[in-house]
Amino acid sequence: MAVTRGPTTEVTPMRNAIHRARTSLEQRPLAAAVGGVAVFLLVLWTTPASWQTSTLRFAVPIALAAIGGIFAEKSGVINIGIEGLLIVSAFSAIVVVDWLGDGGATAGLPNLWWGMLIGVLVSVLFALLFAVVCLEFEADQIIAGLAVWLISLGLAPFISRILFDSPNTVNITRFENVTVPVLSEIPLVGYLLFDTEPQVYLMLAGAVAGWYLLSRTTFGRWVVASGENPKALDTAGVDVRKVRYAAVLLSGVFAGLGGAGFGLGTLGTFAGTGDTVINGRGFIAIATYLLANYHPIGALLGSFLFAGLNSMQDVLQAAGYAIPTELIRTIPHMTVIVVLVFVGRTRLPDAAGDHYESGDD
Amino acid sequence: MRDRLESIAERLARASVVDRIVISLAALVTAVLIGGVLVFVSGAFASCRTGLEMGGATFCYNPMQVYYELFLGALGHPLEGGWTLTNYSLATTLQRTTLLIFSGLSVAVAFRAGLLNIGTQGQLVVGGLATAVTVVYASAVVPARIVLPLGVVVPAGVIGTVVLIPLGVLAGALAGGVYGAVPGALKAYADANEVITTIMLNIIAVGITSTLLSWQFQDPNSTNPQTAPVPEYAEIPTLPVVGFGGRMNFSLLALAFAVALMVGIAWLFARTSFGYELRTSGIQPGAAAYGGVDEKRMTVASMTLSGALGGIGGAFWVLMVHGRWLENVPSLGFDGIAVSVLAGNSPIGVGAAAFLFGIFDSGGNSIGTATDVPPELVGILTGLIILFVAMPEFFRMLGRRYVTVDSARPARTDGGDAGADDGGDADA
Repeated sequence: MAVTRGPTTEVTPMRNAIHRARTSLEQRPLAAAVGGVAVFLLVLWTTPASWQTSTLRFAVPIALAAIGGIFAEKSGVINIGIEGLLIVSAFSAIVVVDWLGDGGATAGLPNLWWGMLIGVLVSVLFALLFAVVCLEFEADQIIAGLAVWLISLGLAPFISRILFDSPNTVNITRFENVTVPVLSEIPLVGYLLFDTEPQVYLMLAGAVAGWYLLSRTTFGRWVVASGENPKALDTAGVDVRKVRYAAVLLSGVFAGLGGAGFGLGTLGTFAGTGDTVINGRGFIAIATYLLANYHPIGALLGSFLFAGLNSMQDVLQAAGYAIPTELIRTIPHMTVIVVLVFVGRTRLPDAAGDHYESGDD
Repeated sequence: MRDRLESIAERLARASVVDRIVISLAALVTAVLIGGVLVFVSGAFASCRTGLEMGGATFCYNPMQVYYELFLGALGHPLEGGWTLTNYSLATTLQRTTLLIFSGLSVAVAFRAGLLNIGTQGQLVVGGLATAVTVVYASAVVPARIVLPLGVVVPAGVIGTVVLIPLGVLAGALAGGVYGAVPGALKAYADANEVITTIMLNIIAVGITSTLLSWQFQDPNSTNPQTAPVPEYAEIPTLPVVGFGGRMNFSLLALAFAVALMVGIAWLFARTSFGYELRTSGIQPGAAAYGGVDEKRMTVASMTLSGALGGIGGAFWVLMVHGRWLENVPSLGFDGIAVSVLAGNSPIGVGAAAFLFGIFDSGGNSIGTATDVPPELVGILTGLIILFVAMPEFFRMLGRRYVTVDSARPARTDGGDAGADDGGDADA
């Protein structure tokens, strides 16, 4: 943070504490992991199981979209359109399953998985459109991202009306739990992590894969360099444009998995009125990765926070508290603001939002 | 020498205005073309009795008819018989134009200050509720009639109109301003990204207002989620003889007020030091700070002004359209983003862009009644227009390619041609 703050700013000590905690966690990954697991087990031990499973399910679109957003933004392209990617992938996945036949299988693959595949593909196509607009035609990334969101917001109910005569799609049979033998018997975590729906496995695997790809591979280093110092990467002989294309398309893959997984595993139908059933989850994902300082595993944990708040409304209502539902529903969104205030703007990659023009072509 | 420099500067400024207009028009044309293709192709998946048979598929939708309904239906079909100027469709178009001028100005003010206020929608929702509640409660204390000296009796209706409407608009502006100041302050003093906070505040505004409604302000005589109606004399009056009738929910006075506000904001930008500082903070924050502009205060001030304009939009939505606040607020604030982007954030341009999107809103209704095409098409067109306005380089490239290399190419030459001419001007 270049600008020094006045002594009157009250959020600073709190924010400094968060920053210190975050850096020290990053510097001591082993301690962070052990501490994380301990806190995790404590939470599991003290909270109701129904809340835990519902939290995991609601975390899927947030976590996967956040991990995708990390790749795009780290490479220097701020993809605010991931909300739109969640919408088109969730919607198209459900349409495909309905079209192929609910509960059936086509060419040896269950139709639900075809839905997953096509959902991801559609999301990648939209990400490609966004990438072309930003990288070839030097569009303002924020406005182009908003446009992707608005187009998706119109397109899903538009097609839905043509196919189903209503902005809401039909219901499909959702994914069923996949139980891993033996492991699901582990106390506390077994039923949660090894007796759950496929999209939750995808989320957990995606977080690990995202972390590995970003911090342990050459491609990951390219992505980071493309966002921090594209000129250096260019000088080293790597095509910045290709790296950015790959990163944005990857954000499409992750967001597509999140949207399609959420639609096929948790929702089973797509409601297209208003902000659609995605209802700002893509934007929550952006706040999540800022909170996690672009760390994929951190983004996974952050998504538990927001999803946990989301599923808390059911718990509160079940417990008989007379808090208005409309207000409870906004708790995750209020938390996003509080998080942004205390975390402040995470240091964006230096070249994020800028178009990079290579000297030699 | 100085004169020469000034004339060059003037020409450049004019060129960039032309540049912007051409790009906006090109974006509009391109979006309409792509929308037409989308309509035609999606017709193959719809079911209908009659349609265009081609290659074994039946294409149910005729894009020409859709656009006929969109653009001319919004004016009340002027090419068909029995057309009058003061028809219901045109009234709806102008009503939307009026409201979109407010929300477009709201977005433009923030944009010019370098802030992306996505939260006009929330500011409009909150401002509208404040207006409705204020007017409903204030109308209870307006005296039945006032006897002035000399025995002149002023009936309550007139007092109500003169007092309650400004009061209601003020309440909307205040509430919207406060709700806009929140993300401004969060941005200035806590560095919280305003795009995300305003989007979140939109969702929160819906939660807060509907909670307030069910807690206190619900109309006891209705099961719909809405406030009690404001008295009829507190609705924006229509002009007799020349105006549109009272049932059309549109008042020329409101449009005149919106236009006056538009000119006022243009004057604020061009002629006042506040406007100058606001624009400089948007273009060159560093230079503005060096020139003595308090960046944080400017952020809060411009977001407050932006929110107040959104709140005024909500006030007019209440006082002109429904006479009460309804829970289901149309997406005027989001459309304001499109209006401002298409207008290149120029206050005067907002007027033209608001009229276009007014046509979209009203024409969307006639698409819904006259054709089977889903009216959500309008939302897609809006998104496409924003997308293309965001990529001016696309049209400049097209222009360069088709004008210098192969000017006979038919594809999208209107956008391309003009773009190239214009690029030449700017370079000269």
